[in-house]
Amino acid sequence: MLDSTLSDIEARAVSAIDAAADAAALEEARVEFLGRKGALAQIGREMGKLPPEERARIGRLLNAVKQNLEERFEKKKAWFEEQALAARLDAEWLDVTLPAPGLRPGSLHPLTQIQKELEDVFTSLGFAVVDGPEVETEWHNFDALNIPPTHPARDAQDTFWLENGLLLRTHTSPVQVRAMERFGAPLRIIAPGRVFRNEEVDASHEHTFYQLEGMMIDRDVSIGHMLYFMKTLLEAVFRRDVTVRLRPGFFPFVEPGFELDIQCLLCGGEGCPVCKQSGWVELLPCGLVHPNVLRAGGIDPEQWNGFAFGLGLTRLVMMRYGIDDIRLLQSGDLRFLQQF
Amino acid sequence: MKFSYNWLRELVPGLELAPRELARQITMKTAECEGVEPYAPWMQAVVAARVESVEPIEGSHNVKAVVDAGPEYGRRTVVCGAPNCRPGLLTAFVPPGVTVAGGKHVRTVLIQGVESQGMLASGAELGLNRDSAGILELAGVEPGAPIPGCPVDHVIEVDNKSLTHRPDLWGHLGMAREVAAFTSLRLADPVREELIPNGPPAWRVDIRDFDLCPRYSALVFENVTVGPSPLWLQARLEAIGLNPISNIVDVTNYIMAELAEPMHAFDADLLHGETIIVRRAEEGEELEALNGETYRLSPSNLVIADARGAVALAGVIGGAGSAIRESTRRIVLESANFEAACIRRTSAALKIRTDASMRFEKAQDPANTVRALARAVELFQLVSPGIRLVGGLVDSWRRPPEPKPIELEMEWLSRRLGRPIAKDEVRRILESLSFGVEEPRPQVFLVSVPSWRATRDISIKEDLLEEVGRMVGYGTVPPEAPLLPARRPWVNEERLFHHAVRQMAAAQGFTEVSNYSFISEEMAQRFGMAPEEHLRVANPISVEQSLLRRSLLPGIHKNILDNSRFFPSFRLFEIGNEIHKRPGRELPLEVPHLMAAVYARDGGAEAFFELKRLAECLMPGCETRPCAPRSYEHPARTGEIVWRGRTLGRLFELHPRFIEQGRASILDVDLAAMFALGPLPKKYTPLRRFPVSEFDLSIVAGLRVHCAELAARIRGAAGPMCERVQYLYSYRGRPLPEDRQSLTYRITLGAPDHTLSSEEVASVRSAIIAALEAAGYGIRQ
Ligand SMILES: [Zn+2]
Repeated sequence: MLDSTLSDIEARAVSAIDAAADAAALEEARVEFLGRKGALAQIGREMGKLPPEERARIGRLLNAVKQNLEERFEKKKAWFEEQALAARLDAEWLDVTLPAPGLRPGSLHPLTQIQKELEDVFTSLGFAVVDGPEVETEWHNFDALNIPPTHPARDAQDTFWLENGLLLRTHTSPVQVRAMERFGAPLRIIAPGRVFRNEEVDASHEHTFYQLEGMMIDRDVSIGHMLYFMKTLLEAVFRRDVTVRLRPGFFPFVEPGFELDIQCLLCGGEGCPVCKQSGWVELLPCGLVHPNVLRAGGIDPEQWNGFAFGLGLTRLVMMRYGIDDIRLLQSGDLRFLQQF
Repeated sequence: MKFSYNWLRELVPGLELAPRELARQITMKTAECEGVEPYAPWMQAVVAARVESVEPIEGSHNVKAVVDAGPEYGRRTVVCGAPNCRPGLLTAFVPPGVTVAGGKHVRTVLIQGVESQGMLASGAELGLNRDSAGILELAGVEPGAPIPGCPVDHVIEVDNKSLTHRPDLWGHLGMAREVAAFTSLRLADPVREELIPNGPPAWRVDIRDFDLCPRYSALVFENVTVGPSPLWLQARLEAIGLNPISNIVDVTNYIMAELAEPMHAFDADLLHGETIIVRRAEEGEELEALNGETYRLSPSNLVIADARGAVALAGVIGGAGSAIRESTRRIVLESANFEAACIRRTSAALKIRTDASMRFEKAQDPANTVRALARAVELFQLVSPGIRLVGGLVDSWRRPPEPKPIELEMEWLSRRLGRPIAKDEVRRILESLSFGVEEPRPQVFLVSVPSWRATRDISIKEDLLEEVGRMVGYGTVPPEAPLLPARRPWVNEERLFHHAVRQMAAAQGFTEVSNYSFISEEMAQRFGMAPEEHLRVANPISVEQSLLRRSLLPGIHKNILDNSRFFPSFRLFEIGNEIHKRPGRELPLEVPHLMAAVYARDGGAEAFFELKRLAECLMPGCETRPCAPRSYEHPARTGEIVWRGRTLGRLFELHPRFIEQGRASILDVDLAAMFALGPLPKKYTPLRRFPVSEFDLSIVAGLRVHCAELAARIRGAAGPMCERVQYLYSYRGRPLPEDRQSLTYRITLGAPDHTLSSEEVASVRSAIIAALEAAGYGIRQ
C-alpha cells in the first residue's frame, strides 16, 4: 500500500519539479514533497506503524525516492541560479570601447631620457655621475683644459661672457677638472649637462644644448681601452652592434685627439643623404687626456693617464628620433614634448 | 682651407690616388676633408681657336666671327660680343653642349640671324679669373689644343678647425708632406734656396720687439712690371678661392698658399727712408689699410713702419699708401714671422681676418721666411720678365731655442696605443714626416722635431704618439676592456633625487619642459625682480637674453601662454637652475628648482589642488600655509609650502593680469633645500591589536576659516587617543546663516592596549566640542 503511495508521490514530485517554471515554483514543489511537512515526511511518520521488517524495507525505498528527488531538485535549482546569474551579467553589459577617464602620465623630456639611459650604462661600468656649475670660471673652462688665452680654439664669438671674467660653460669639459680636483686618481666619471655657445639660433644651431662628458684616469689607459668604452656606449645608445672608426681630431685638452665616427646606421656604410654619402657619421670627439690637463687637475701625469670624450646629447636625441629642428627641444611646446 | 689636387700632385710626383680617395685618406690620417669639388670641369672640352675673320652684325654690337677651332671642331661661326674679338686673335672656344662657369650652358643658337656654333669665352666665363672685359688672349698655342696651364682640377676642402694646431698645413707643401708620408712617395720641395742673393742688403730692418716679431726677412727688386698674372697662376689662385689681383700680389698669395708663409710687397718708392721698422703702434696712430678702412691703433698692435709712420699692420693687412700699383717699379718684399698671440689679438680687436692673420695666429715657422723669398725670386722672374734683385738678403732674427729632442720609449708607445708596434715602423713613420730619429738606448728613440712642427704643435711624447698612431691607422687598434678593481662608484644622490622628482611629476600627468637660462630685463621687471640682481651677459645674442634667470617663472609663464593656444588644459614642469649672485664667492649660487604648472581654460580651483597633491606626493605631510602674495600671484590664492619646519616653496594661482584666458596655478619648490632634508625617515609601529572608534563632527565656522587650523584644534583637543582627523566635506546654505559654513571631519580614536569604551569616546568628543566652542565655533548636530 505504502509502496504504491510512494511511487505515486515520486511520480508527482518528478513532474512538479520538471514543471516548475521558476525558482519560486521549484521551492513550492520542494516544500510540498521534501519539506518537513511534505509528502515524504508524511510517509516517514506513517512508517512507524509497520512491522519492523516491512518498516526497514519501506525505509530503504523512501530513502531512495528522497535521494532521487533531492538530486533532481538540486539540479534544477542550480540551473535556475545559473540562468539568473547569466541574466544579471548580461544586464551588466559594458561598452569596453569607452575611453578610460582620468590623467595619463606626462612625458619626460627626451634629453632627460637619454641622460638617464647613459647614466645607467656608465654607472654599470663603474663610472660616477657628477655635476658641475653652468656658470664657470675662465680657468676651468679654458686654461685648465690647455686652452691658453691666445689660443685660436678660444674664439670670443662662441663664449657668453658674464661679469668678473665668469662665463657660461661652453662645454662640459670643465667638469673633468672639477672631478679631478674633488676625487683625484683613479677616476671614472661622466658629466651630463647644459652648455652654451654664443650662436644665432636656427633649425640646426642652438645657443643652449646638452653634452655628456666622460673621463677615465688610471694606470696605463690605452687607445684600445677608450675604443672599448666608446663602442659599448654607442651600442647601448643604439641598441645594436655598431662599427666605429677613429681619425685624428684636434682638441687642446687631449693628445692624441680623435673624432670618432660611427658607420651610418641608415645605409650601413653604403652612403646616403644622412651620412652625406660618406657611409660614416661624426659622433664624438675624444682622446687621451693631455698631461697639462692632468696637472691642472692635480694629478701626476707620470703616474696616471686616461681618456676623455664629449658626446653631444642634443645631437644624439635628434638622430635617434629624427628631429629636424633643434629649437623644438627648448621650445616648451607640448605638442612636441608629449610625443616622447 | 682649400687644396688643389693638381698642386698636390706636382708636389708629390707619382701620386695616383683619385681626388676622393685622396680626400678620404687625408681625413683618416691628417685632417678632416669636408668635400671634394671639381674645378672648371668644362676645361676638358675647351680648346684654343684662332679668329679668322670678323664681320659686324647690323644693328648690334656683336660680331660674326669665323674661327679655326682645330682638328676636332674645325671651322666654326660664332657670334661674339667681346670688344677684343679681332682677326688673328688666339682665344678659347667652348663647343656646344658644354656648361661653363655660373651654370651657363653653351648651345648652337640663332643670334640676330646668325647661327652661333659655340662660344668664345672670357677668363671669367671659364672661371679662371675675374676678367670679363674681353675674351681670352692666348699665345704660343695651336688651335684645337687645350688652354695651357688650365687643366681640370679638383678642390679638396679641409675643415679649418682641424688645422688649428698645424701651421704647416696652411700651405700645400705641408699637406703634400703628409700625403707623401702616407703614400710612401717622395716629396718634391719647390724651393731653391740657392736663389737667395749674397752680398750686403740694400735695405735695413729694425725690429724693436723680437717677442712680437722673431724674424723679418726681405728682398728688394727693381725693374718691376706690374700687370696681370699669367693665366695658369690666376687659375690656380681662383681654384682655391683667392682673387687674382696683379702679378706681384698674385705671387705673394701663391707662395702663401704653397708654403704657408704670408708675404707682403711694398712699393719701395712710396716708402720713406730705406729702413723697415717693426714696432708697436703708438696710441692713436692711424693706418689706412688695403681694404679702404682706416684703423686707430694702440701699442697692443704691431706695425711695419717707415721713417714717417705705419705702413702695414704686421701680419694682418698692408697699408693703402705703399700698395703695389701699375706704376710700381721697385718693391720691397716682406717675408716675416710674427708672434701668434699678438696677431690674434690685433685681428680680433680690429675685426680684420685675412688669409695672413689666419696663418700667423697658428704660430708659423720662423725658418720659413727665407725659403719663401727664394721661391719668390723664381716666380717673379716668370711673371715679371726683366725684374732684378737689388742687394742681398735683408734678414733680422732672434733664433728660437733649438727644440728639445723628445724621448720616446717603444714600450710606452705600445701600451698607450693598445697594440704592439715594431721599432722600424715607428722610425719609418717619423722620418717620413721629417722627424730626426736616433736610438741612444735600445728601444728608446730620441726624436728631433722639424722647425715647422716645433712652434706649438709638437713638444711632448704624447704628440709623437699621435704621429705614429694616425699613420699606422687607429683602425689597427683592437677595442679592449681594461681590467679594473670592482670598486663601487661614488653615487650622485642629488641627481638620482632629481630623477625621482621627475618620475613623480610625470606619473601625475606633468610633461617636462626645458627653458633657456636667459631672460630679458623686461621679463625680470614684469615679475617684480630687479634687473641688477641678475647676472648679466656681457655679449648677449639679443636684449631678450641679457640676464641669467633667478627664477624659472618667466620661462614657465611663456610655456603656459604658448601652449594655451593649443590645449584647453595641460600640466607641465621644469627642473632647472636658478642662478643667484653671490658676492665674495668665486661662483654664483646655482639652485635647482622644480616648477610645475597646471592650466585650465575653464578651470576653477582644481588646478591649485592638483599641484598641492603633487607637492604632498613629493613631500609627504607638507603644509600649504597662507602667505602674503607677490605681484604676479592671485592675492587670495597663494601659499607657502612648509615641510618639516622649513619653507621650501610656493604654491599660487597666477594673477589674472598675467594670463588672458583661463587660469594657471604654479608650484615652485627649492630642490636643493628639499634634498638637504633627506627622505622622511621610515619607522615601523606595530599594527593595532584593538579596534578603533570613529565619529564625525560638523563644525560651524566663518567662511574663511582654514581647514587645517580646525583640524589642528581638533587634534589638540582630542589628546593621545587621536589616531586621525580627516576632513570630509563642507556645506553652505540653509539652515546655516549666509556667513557660516559647516565643515565635517571624521575623527578616529584608538588605544594600543584596549578597545575604547563608549565612555572614553564620548569624553574625547566632549573635549573636542568644548575646545571648539571655547574658540568660538559651533557644532552642527
Ligand atoms: Zn648613410
